[in-house]
Amino acid sequence: MIIEIWTKEKYAKNEERGFIGRLAHAGLKVKTARLSRLYRVDADFSRAEFDKLASKLLTDSITEHYSLTPGKNGLKNAYRVEVWLKDSVTDVVGESVKGAIADVLGKEPKTVRFGHAYYVPCGSELKLKHAVSKILVNEVVNKFSIKKH
Amino acid sequence: MKPKAIILRGTATNCDIETFNSFKYVGAEPELVHINQLLAGERKVLDYDIMAFPGGFSYGDDISAGKIYAVKMAKLSADFKAFIKGKRPVIGICNGFQILVKTGFLPENKANAQVSTLYTNDCGHFLAKWVKVRINRDSPCIFTKGLPEEIELPIAHGEGKFIVEDKKIMDSIISRDLHVMTYRSNPNGSMLDIAGITNAAGTCFGLMPHPERNFFAWQNPDRPAAAREAEAAGWQFFKNAVDYVG
Amino acid sequence: MTDNLSNFTSLPEKQLVELDSLCGWSLSLLELQEAQRQFSKMGRQPTRGELETIAQTWSEHCKHKTFSGPVAFRDGGKTKKYKNLFKETIVKATRTLNRKWCLSVFTDNAGIVEFGKSGKWGLAFKAETHNHPCAVEPYGGAETGVGGVIRDILGVGLGAKPVLNTDSFCFGYLDGKKKLPKNSHSPERIMRSVVEGVRDYGNRIGIPTASGGLYFDDGYLLNPLVYVGCAGLIPVDKIEKKVVPGDLIVSIGGRTGRDGIHGATFSSANIDEETTASAVQIGHAVNEKKTLDVLMRARDLGLYNAVTDCGAGGFSSAIGELGSETGAHVKLENALLKDTRIEPWEIWVSESQERMILAVPKAKMKKLEAILKAESCEYCVMGAFPGDGRLLVAHGDESVVDLPMSFLHGGVPNFEKQATRRKVKISSAAPARPASYGQVLKEMLAHPNVCSRHSVITQYDHEVQGGTVIKPLQGKYGDGPGDATVIWPQAATLDQHDFSGFAVSHGFNPAAGKIAPYQMALHSVDEAVRNLLCVGAEISRTAILDNFCAASPRDPEVMGDLVLAAEGCHDAAVGYGAPFISGKDSFYNQAKDADGKEYPIPMSLLISATAPVEDIRKAITMNFKEAGNPVYLAGTSRRGMGGSVYNDMAASGNNFISPLDIKAAVKLYSAILKAIKSGCVAAAHDASQGGLAVTLSEMAFSGGFGAEIDLTWAAREKGLSPLELLFGESPARLVLEVLKDKETEFLKLIKGLPVCEVGYVKEEPSLCVLDGGERLFWEDINALKNCWKRELI
Repeated sequence: MIIEIWTKEKYAKNEERGFIGRLAHAGLKVKTARLSRLYRVDADFSRAEFDKLASKLLTDSITEHYSLTPGKNGLKNAYRVEVWLKDSVTDVVGESVKGAIADVLGKEPKTVRFGHAYYVPCGSELKLKHAVSKILVNEVVNKFSIKKH
Repeated sequence: MKPKAIILRGTATNCDIETFNSFKYVGAEPELVHINQLLAGERKVLDYDIMAFPGGFSYGDDISAGKIYAVKMAKLSADFKAFIKGKRPVIGICNGFQILVKTGFLPENKANAQVSTLYTNDCGHFLAKWVKVRINRDSPCIFTKGLPEEIELPIAHGEGKFIVEDKKIMDSIISRDLHVMTYRSNPNGSMLDIAGITNAAGTCFGLMPHPERNFFAWQNPDRPAAAREAEAAGWQFFKNAVDYVG
Repeated sequence: MTDNLSNFTSLPEKQLVELDSLCGWSLSLLELQEAQRQFSKMGRQPTRGELETIAQTWSEHCKHKTFSGPVAFRDGGKTKKYKNLFKETIVKATRTLNRKWCLSVFTDNAGIVEFGKSGKWGLAFKAETHNHPCAVEPYGGAETGVGGVIRDILGVGLGAKPVLNTDSFCFGYLDGKKKLPKNSHSPERIMRSVVEGVRDYGNRIGIPTASGGLYFDDGYLLNPLVYVGCAGLIPVDKIEKKVVPGDLIVSIGGRTGRDGIHGATFSSANIDEETTASAVQIGHAVNEKKTLDVLMRARDLGLYNAVTDCGAGGFSSAIGELGSETGAHVKLENALLKDTRIEPWEIWVSESQERMILAVPKAKMKKLEAILKAESCEYCVMGAFPGDGRLLVAHGDESVVDLPMSFLHGGVPNFEKQATRRKVKISSAAPARPASYGQVLKEMLAHPNVCSRHSVITQYDHEVQGGTVIKPLQGKYGDGPGDATVIWPQAATLDQHDFSGFAVSHGFNPAAGKIAPYQMALHSVDEAVRNLLCVGAEISRTAILDNFCAASPRDPEVMGDLVLAAEGCHDAAVGYGAPFISGKDSFYNQAKDADGKEYPIPMSLLISATAPVEDIRKAITMNFKEAGNPVYLAGTSRRGMGGSVYNDMAASGNNFISPLDIKAAVKLYSAILKAIKSGCVAAAHDASQGGLAVTLSEMAFSGGFGAEIDLTWAAREKGLSPLELLFGESPARLVLEVLKDKETEFLKLIKGLPVCEVGYVKEEPSLCVLDGGERLFWEDINALKNCWKRELI
């Protein structure tokens, strides 16, 4: 199960602006973008348990909301870039969340991996890919995918 | 009898020792206690007179700052509630403030629910610098008694932007002067420049700046020649707690 | 490959070399043949695990073959031979000085000197580089670099408590337009990621990152340099460690995984596109913090006899090193793993981070386990140190290594390297005069090698532990550039009534090294010592570290630079009475760009220095404090623009580097230190990058005061031009603000020395500088500050 955490739009301007600025630095000019954080929790939990994890542990109730399937972002024509650490690379946040899940549910998942998603409305997948590899990922440690959202 | 201060720590609670030193200097008898010791029943918070949540990066600040520590505290919630309700002094500094907010102890509310947050700084990253803060001298906070209207303290945090969504809650903070401390020049985007808040009793206090880092005058970056050999503003916070317990 | 292993001892040269490159060992042919000889003698073939162990133990990273090897240096018609360059320069200086306050030098993971007045404490100090990993994965590389040097401090003696991290970086210019090869990152990205890595690791583990530097040169475009240092406090009765036969081998902290295979050999090889992912790691600061907390408690309870860090070579190096006399019997199946898909030999050599190895008496294991559990720190018992001098490593029934320790730690074959003096054309013609000195000053303040570093420094928690009393950013607005950092280690001593502290500073000058490597070393030591002086540290007790980074030692000119710089290190250390206590080197910092052109880095020598501060309350900062106070220039300004920032901005036609007179400098500094200690000096700041004009500007705008300066009577070499006076970087000079009512006392203390009054501090916010009746410039200090205070990232 992938739990996706979103900063509410009214609090997300700073992170979006920073991200758009870095894309511009890599030669890709866009006006809007959305960012989210991803937790891939590999466990036989029920839907209710995943909901509990998402709401009680992974989401800041004031500034964030979550979705258990790729959520809506209000952007037209956007690509979704999903970035993870390669499975062979230690995922520090994932390990830490794994322990915290045990604190909340009383049972530990098999693995937890932490990643990011970026929603970028742009005309050219190729250009986006170029920018992504310039600023967001390092293929030595990351794996990523770009999909039309 | 020296008042007993419990300095709560966990993995990567990094400011525990200087906080310990500060309480010792003002005449308390501090003890470093790991949350694991509380969970194992080896120590009980109600055996202490003063409680401190020091700064640091508890459990890496993964998920969000202070969150995992707050989750670990949930099982001991009754003891913490009783400690605060009994008006024993509690100070949460930086990560400690984040923990008090994530547990719902601050801002004080009946449901003991998280009603505010300390979110990522507007600059998007960790920021360490000295700032000027105003002390609200009408606030009931016992830690800031006797301080001048404006003092200098260093901040060092990535998530210090104080946000309260519910206007009623914010109004009740302001109308009761529970906003103890405000930034003169807002470094992180906090609502109403808020740097620290207290409960209505003035005994449970959370703040982002680090008073233990401006405890002595020689910790000041300017170090004017005349004033390098004295206690500084930060000392007063700790002294007040000890005096209050008496 | 299995075939090649099963007839290893009879492989011909070509296949040996192929095998080496296939396995990624980076052994030389000579070394491979030595291994062949040894196994022939034993009458058997090696296992993969044994060859891996040899590759790690003999690697450049672990053995420092280049610096510690024989060198023939040709200089004109003469040839000088060294048997061991490092011992005959760096170590020799320390032996000559033979200071009794040096408690441990060159033997352990870090050097240790006495700390404070109580006689209870030692200060351990070490600096490292993590260059190649940072070129490939700058964030993870920087994190694991910081983590690694912290473990050096945790693993020195029975463990020191880290109280300060240092970081010095070299990158290509950020705004460069040079086309980079496909597999390399832009300097902007490298810098951003390196800073984030140092920040996220240092902040999470709770050690202040409070001293360092930042240097830009296109020589570092493909090979960034990332120097990381750490200082820690250790009780003097915890410096000795000795494994006792029968002790258990206990690994604590992180787990072992495939993510750390071949870091040691990796750090010696040229980087190319095939560099494998497994060598690169992400750091786990929280695991290291657990390890730190456990170690400090267990150390004070005496629960182990020895400790060392798992660094390059992983278990093979750490256990091999601790068991070098007793031998070691290791059961790899006991290791806690990140991933079960791992070969036994990989467990043995994996360099997974955040692991420490302890030698624990059986009777104390229970107590240690209780602490490990209380701190949620993972551990595993890997075997024991038997006392038979044999290294036996097994995984279940499978033997992975079975070798006598003497083989591994005995003579590594080494060959003589050729060195020759680099030919550089020196011009000492009078430099061309610019149109406006004020304009030059403004541009210089904005130069990447001069401008403010606040955008980096403020991302580090440089005050955690509450002991950073002289901060990297200081002055009225908390943003002035400090010369040295002063640490008051209250979080280690737990004593707030003991005011003993120590200062840390750096000296670094690769631009001078391109012209005169010997003078570069002298100037760098001088700069480091002078920086310590500026805060009022006891410079007669300076201890220094050398960190050399160089291009390929196969190039005789690179080796020539090294020889000259090492000789400079020797002479400077002896001259200043400042022994080297530890050092490290990194070679092969060289790569090809998109057009196949070689990019070697310039010879880069970082000098890190530390000295005691008797009473941290009396340490001083660099900003002007009070209008009306007189300003003095100490030291003689000399001719030459070589290596200056000015020469990087404009062609002065002069690249001469003025030689340093160490004797005169020592005499000058000891008088100034007396003046500082007697409270005569309100502010001190050294003249280095950018020269005197930059020094005066920084003192003015960091204090919010102006100054009227007339340099007419300042001590100077004959024929010095105004350009050289303002922007030349001749060494051994500093500017002092003297307290008005202490001026008489000050003058007595500096009598007969080249210390001249050059003006006074004033309220009006302008800096006016005259020389010989001519006004060189007049500038508003806020305008100067605006030029200087750039956001680098």
